Amino acid sequence: MLKSNQAGERTHDLTGLRELKMKEIHKPSSFEGALWITLGIKDARVIFHAPPGCFINQAQGLLMYEYCLDFYTTSLSYANVMQGAEDRLEEVLRKTIEKRPNLVIIVTSPSVEITGDDVEGVLDKVGYKNCVIIHPPIGGTLNEGKEKALITLTSLMDPTVEKVGKTVNLIGPSLGTFNWRADVFELKRMLSNIGINVNAVLTAGSLTKDIINAPCASLNLCIYPYDWGIDTAKLMEKKFNIPYLANHVPIGFRESAAWLEEIADFFKVDARNYLKEEIISGYELIQAMMVLPITFESSVALSLDNHDTYAVGMSHYFKKELGMEISLVAVGSETAANKVKEVCENVMVSPTIDEKKEQFLEKSPMMIMGNFYDVKIAKELGFTNTLFADLPTMGYQSTEASPYMGFMGAKNLIQHTVNQIYMNIFFETKGGIEETISVGEVSWDLDAQKAFVKVADMIPHFIKAIAMRKLQKKAEELAIQKKSKITLDIVRTVTDQYTPTRFKSKFLSALKENDGVKGDQALPSEVKFTMTWDAKAKAMMNKVPKEVRAMAISGTEEFAQEKGYKRVTVKVVNEFKKESGMG
Amino acid sequence: MSLKSYEHCCSSLQALATLGKVEGIIPLLHGPQPCAYQCQIGSMTCRPSRLLTAGTLIKKSEVIFGGEENLKKQIINMYRQYQPKIIVIINTCVPQLIGEDIKGVINEVEQEIPELKVTYFDSGFNFPKAMPLGNDVAWVSIVRVLEPMKKVKGSIGLVGRSGQDAGAFTPVDTFLKEAGIPVFGFPAPHLTEMQKISQAEILFPVHVVPFLTCKEISERFNSKVEYIEVPSGIRGTSGFLRGVADILKNQKIHDLVDQEEDNIRPRFQAIKRRFAEDPVKVLIVYGPASEFSLSKILADFGAEVIMVPSMRNKFAQMEKELQKKRYGLTIVEEDFDLLEDLNEMYKPDVIFCEVQGRVEIIPKLMPVFCNMMYLTAYGYDFALDIGENFHNAMKRGVLANWKDMVKRYGGELHA
Repeated sequence: MLKSNQAGERTHDLTGLRELKMKEIHKPSSFEGALWITLGIKDARVIFHAPPGCFINQAQGLLMYEYCLDFYTTSLSYANVMQGAEDRLEEVLRKTIEKRPNLVIIVTSPSVEITGDDVEGVLDKVGYKNCVIIHPPIGGTLNEGKEKALITLTSLMDPTVEKVGKTVNLIGPSLGTFNWRADVFELKRMLSNIGINVNAVLTAGSLTKDIINAPCASLNLCIYPYDWGIDTAKLMEKKFNIPYLANHVPIGFRESAAWLEEIADFFKVDARNYLKEEIISGYELIQAMMVLPITFESSVALSLDNHDTYAVGMSHYFKKELGMEISLVAVGSETAANKVKEVCENVMVSPTIDEKKEQFLEKSPMMIMGNFYDVKIAKELGFTNTLFADLPTMGYQSTEASPYMGFMGAKNLIQHTVNQIYMNIFFETKGGIEETISVGEVSWDLDAQKAFVKVADMIPHFIKAIAMRKLQKKAEELAIQKKSKITLDIVRTVTDQYTPTRFKSKFLSALKENDGVKGDQALPSEVKFTMTWDAKAKAMMNKVPKEVRAMAISGTEEFAQEKGYKRVTVKVVNEFKKESGMG
Repeated sequence: MSLKSYEHCCSSLQALATLGKVEGIIPLLHGPQPCAYQCQIGSMTCRPSRLLTAGTLIKKSEVIFGGEENLKKQIINMYRQYQPKIIVIINTCVPQLIGEDIKGVINEVEQEIPELKVTYFDSGFNFPKAMPLGNDVAWVSIVRVLEPMKKVKGSIGLVGRSGQDAGAFTPVDTFLKEAGIPVFGFPAPHLTEMQKISQAEILFPVHVVPFLTCKEISERFNSKVEYIEVPSGIRGTSGFLRGVADILKNQKIHDLVDQEEDNIRPRFQAIKRRFAEDPVKVLIVYGPASEFSLSKILADFGAEVIMVPSMRNKFAQMEKELQKKRYGLTIVEEDFDLLEDLNEMYKPDVIFCEVQGRVEIIPKLMPVFCNMMYLTAYGYDFALDIGENFHNAMKRGVLANWKDMVKRYGGELHA
């Protein structure tokens, strides 16, 4: 098992070229890229020329969050691979053709790329024309896989089709891209409001005829310019004389307006009335009491290293239009990092999960946006405000209703952000509907009282008064339970356990100062057992990261007391883990 | 007369929120349904727990035939359910108009349940121009039923404003306790703690609001009242503590203040430099009397402050004089129609006001803060935190960005 002190260590492989990381959250590859692009064409039938495991993983992975989709496989065995699997591919291809799909796409797997099956030879032998073959590059990135797949699909495009005025293609949306469906819906809505039609979405949700007729469009729009699509756009410009735009990321009000304005200028249409309507609507929204007073005092971490376009767009939007502090941004490329650095000093390129965790703890953002792992870690560390915005996800369902791009996306991000931050903190800091207000008079140690004042200054004003009351009450309860005054230790415990959202590292700095210990010399939160613990249960606590150990212990003890247990056993710890979603 | 009320909230709500923060007390809102609903919602954000509002929900028939019977029933119900030590009837506008015999009801209940104390006060339209008085009269009603306790020699009482002050004297009382002075706080989160205010020999109000409370405590428990100033801002906190030190002839407090002033001097100077480099004119309009504390915090740093006060009692008059003299504060006592008019007249860079005032200012995309978010503004740390973050908190860049966006896309009408 990896030890936590190995976190963040980075070495290189034997060639010295590739960085080897410990505890890496693996990213989707060029094979996912190719499959997600091709599976997005609804009336095409994809054959994944691959061993069954590869097929099952790809199918199940995608079906966990995409709508219903289907594809086939050659289910290669070891023997097939060794002896050549062309006959299996031929058999599957013939059966597939019998189903009369509009298009057949063969995507090869890593094993086939190594054995070098003559896939093109099989296709020639079968003699079927409506078929393309995609060989994703081994070691290639997700974006490289997508680009390669779409470039291959340009071979289907008909150069002779007639151009249709005021039409565009959207290059970029693919299955598997976080929130693509909602973003496409919103961008189409915006374009239609200025009289521009979308000719084809390349490729998510498209039909074969859309691919063939893609050259009808007068303009290509790369909607994820920090991820991929520009190479395809350049090729289409060369082959079909379609210019492209990739200058703006339509996230936030200003950039959405700029994006649309540029398109309107290209087509020489008047977008002023529509843009006025949208900007004024946004302007009205930000006047609401619970928008800027909340966002102006909030910070966010954007862990979006599989979605560089989101990282760039959201960081600029949150900072410039909502006044939020951007605590950290994780991106996947240097290009995106450079753009994000305009609004955030703390940018990480493809960090390991431990590097992110370290930063979450150090920066203590009020909201964390990211993938499944980010959200999971955030929850484990005690952050309550999270929002999914990147891959990988697990079972996350998205629809057209919740875009992050465009004007509706800008509003949706406001809605999610302020509701997450305010409502969660509000519920967290409130006592019960009929709960006791105070347990009685408890005296304070002066040190504890002074530390408490410093802690108060770290809580945003919009929640300060009630949050402090909650902490005070919890301190009183703990002191009564321990039959003591309110000490610095008690203040430390309650701030660690009951802080409104995750301010713990900041609080810790105040508490360290009052301890007479400075900065890094200070030990992590003291670990105290106030109940009787079985040795095995205690040992389980040693496995909890030291930063959150005190919180885990006090949380378990509180749980045990609520349930009426006299001592903490392994069973109690497991019950607590299960109830708190960690089991 | 203003076209709307710019104050923090109705005095009934102010009282409800205030009383709802003390264990042992249960407020009972004697009024019609809209009053109950709005006060419940309004107090929800600031009540720490026990979020249900007990009310009598006066109906039309009770307006005609009297609501005393229901009031009595509800008091008895509440006692059976919660066994509070004190039930406080917040007598709102409607029962006052119909002349309900509240005292008669209280007498009847106390005969039936001798161990229960029931008290009341009139709220609502009694305080149209100084709604924070809702806090003051709520505390008075509590003091009326507290039992006296033996005085503690050399002790003092800190008397606060609203329920938010319950347990929030820490930034001030740590100095006093360190100097060996027994300190009792009023309000406190628990009634047994509040009770101890009768033991204090001298009362030091920490805000301008509790004038009537201090008077009642003083009369009932024979305590002396010394108003020094609101301990907000750097000079205000020092001034208050040194004032207490002088009255008590306690050199240790002076020494502790000297020490703290030395500690914070570099931060204070840095903030003052920042305000000198980037001057700010602030208009602070009615809050739950927060205007009296915020004005001091900002004026200390060199901001030009124009204050529209919500309070007119004796403490408020003393505080206004002090602030005028010390900071050269502009105090607006005259009526105005709209906050917009004051904005036009004084042309501030930033405004503090309540939500109903904010709607006139935020469309202009100028910095505006809500008073209600700046409660318990006592002591050095609170002031330093405000000072160090003030320029950043205004987010002028963000607002300018929006202004530019609205001008560019929204047209002149919205610019």
